Amino acid sequence: MNPKRCAACRYLRRRCPKDCVFSPYFPPNNPEKFACVHRIYGAGNVSKMLQQLPVQTRAEAVESLCFEATCRIEDPVYGCVGMISLLQTQIQKTESLLARTQAEITVAQIKHSQNQHSEFM
Amino acid sequence: MSGGGNTLTSMGGSGCGGGSSGSGGGTSGGGGGGPCGACKFLRRKCVPGCIFAPYFDSEQGSAYFAAVHKVFGASNISKLLLHIPVHRRSDAVVTICYEAQARIRDPIYGCVAHIFALQQQVVNLQAEVSYVQAHLASLELPQPPPPPRPQSQPQLLFLTPPPLSITDLPASVSPLPSTYDLASTFDQAASPSSWATQQRRFVDPRHQYGRSLPSSSATLGLGGGNSDLEALAHELLHRQGSPPPTATDDSPSRTKSR
Repeated sequence: MNPKRCAACRYLRRRCPKDCVFSPYFPPNNPEKFACVHRIYGAGNVSKMLQQLPVQTRAEAVESLCFEATCRIEDPVYGCVGMISLLQTQIQKTESLLARTQAEITVAQIKHSQNQHSEFM
Repeated sequence: MSGGGNTLTSMGGSGCGGGSSGSGGGTSGGGGGGPCGACKFLRRKCVPGCIFAPYFDSEQGSAYFAAVHKVFGASNISKLLLHIPVHRRSDAVVTICYEAQARIRDPIYGCVAHIFALQQQVVNLQAEVSYVQAHLASLELPQPPPPPRPQSQPQLLFLTPPPLSITDLPASVSPLPSTYDLASTFDQAASPSSWATQQRRFVDPRHQYGRSLPSSSATLGLGGGNSDLEALAHELLHRQGSPPPTATDDSPSRTKSR
């Protein structure tokens, strides 16, 4: 048994076994992380998801789950999908700005060549 | 949006109006229409006032609910929906379904991979804008123009902005364009602490651009297309009276998570 329980087992008020699926990813010094994930997904679902993944990918899976859970807690309606929408909007605005700037460059280049032509004349 | 009745069905279905649980009020449930998709999946009696009934019809809703239940769990979703105003629950259900399906398709990253891809796209575009603005500034000054843009830089993504609509939910989290090397973003050998570093480097667009999140599903633009999510989101929008978007995908088939 793990002498120092992981954050998950502390939250769930149970013993933390040596092979606890949560302990590598939910250290006891960060209880909010597990609380957040448990609130959205539930400990059982997280455990099942992690057990179905190769060990080397679990850390990243936990972090992405935490991220999504945090987004969902902050925005219960849209979760991290709202962030996708914001990014899409930002991409569109940036592309518009890029198009405008390139048009301005074209105009500037035309004016420059016209000035050069008139000077030559 | 009405209090309920925005049932998630396939595009080719009878529509929410024909759905057994699509009543005008928000208290649709078992009754004579049979169980909702959620209760059908859970094999339990669909009581009047079932919280899932307005959003998961008995025909196609089971498939969507299966994904949601697998990822989140029915009780967690029920608790989540209870804390959301009734008029916003249909939007919440759509996004929950999207996240659930994204997580099933990509058990490691879920829809977060798409977020990072979009963020990278924003960064690339901003770099492009900075470059052309510098070029423009140099043209406006009496100086020779800067050297041509190196070919190694990413090509400009001159995409025609799609109309913002919840039906444009991303098709899938993977495969992503090869431009976005997520493998370098998600270091396979990284420890959780390095992922935390990645998170810290990830600029939350809500902090950068303000929390101007869409207030209705009609303004939730997410780009791309997805036969599953497009179908359910199309139905949602159609019920709200928004003009249905141009179908870019073939008719969706009732498929469970692949």
